Amino acid sequence: MKQVEDSEILEKFSNTKTRDEAFNLLLNKYQQKIYWHIRRLVIDHDDADDLVQDVFIKVWKNLDSFRSDSQLYTWIYRIATNESITFLNKKKQRNNTPLDEVSDELAETLIASSYFNGDKIQLKLQQALLTLPEKQRLIFNMKYFDELKYEEISEITGTSVGALKASFHIAVKKIEVFMLNEDITF
Amino acid sequence: MKQDFENDEWMKGVRETGFTTPAHYFNELSESINARISTEKLKSVIQNDGHTVPDHYFEKLQANILAKTVGETKPIAKPKVIRLWNSNLVKYASAACFLLITGVGLYFNQQQSPAQQTVSSDLATEQMLYDIDEQVIIDHISSTDITQPKSTVADTDLENYILTNYSQNELATSL
Repeated sequence: MKQVEDSEILEKFSNTKTRDEAFNLLLNKYQQKIYWHIRRLVIDHDDADDLVQDVFIKVWKNLDSFRSDSQLYTWIYRIATNESITFLNKKKQRNNTPLDEVSDELAETLIASSYFNGDKIQLKLQQALLTLPEKQRLIFNMKYFDELKYEEISEITGTSVGALKASFHIAVKKIEVFMLNEDITF
Repeated sequence: MKQDFENDEWMKGVRETGFTTPAHYFNELSESINARISTEKLKSVIQNDGHTVPDHYFEKLQANILAKTVGETKPIAKPKVIRLWNSNLVKYASAACFLLITGVGLYFNQQQSPAQQTVSSDLATEQMLYDIDEQVIIDHISSTDITQPKSTVADTDLENYILTNYSQNELATSL
């Protein structure tokens, strides 16, 4: 199926008669990408479900004021990233969890989740990712799973391309070490 | 000596191409290549993250989001107001009902018999007497002269008055 262009979505959204149709097209194009982006950050399906709905409600309310100086999908990714990080920070505060124990909690959620059917290596990769600082995990996910370019990640996170590259390289090295310690070589 | 000369010439050639690189580019290049190699190797083993979603989740998600966005902003359909007085049938039916109710009311009001009215007034009087203290009634009767006042006019005078003012026929019909 041919993917509709962002410019077409925006044009239709600006017309009140075709606004609903435009939002439907936007959901068809982005809802899965944004769901997976959030899911990889918050791990739990129910949390991701709540957040992805919040994100698209915000998109609906603010798309009118969206300026085309950035790309539509990087703008949506930015909202999703901010919502997810805010959610994780609130979770830390609510549970009074020290920063280094948050990854343990998320790892437990991952193991207990009925919506994770990865094999041993996939589980180890997720566990390795949960040992990373939040920002490195975010960058790794966007580069590795979403296959975004550094320039796009830079637009989403507001971090320079150089800093992103350095973070990604460090993340990869840490994952390698983690996997080696678990006797997994690749 | 000859080799040094050749190197200098080569370096001179490089410098003259005019190309430059970002600062510290060659320091970062090896790291970038290693990271790429590691990532490619990792991807050959792990293509996806292993997370799953419930069946038909994305269809339901889209419906939920649409209900909270597009669905909420749709104007609520105004209830259609039908003016009853625009219909002749309703006008005449209302008038007929009004007349019927008024007529029935009047009819039942007139049907209430004088006997029923007397009974109800007697009952009221009786109730009033019942409410008055017995002693008050006795005192009132004893203090009142209930004997009929004697007429001051003599019977013969009355007889004369009747005979002079009424004919024999009138007296016969009245008596």
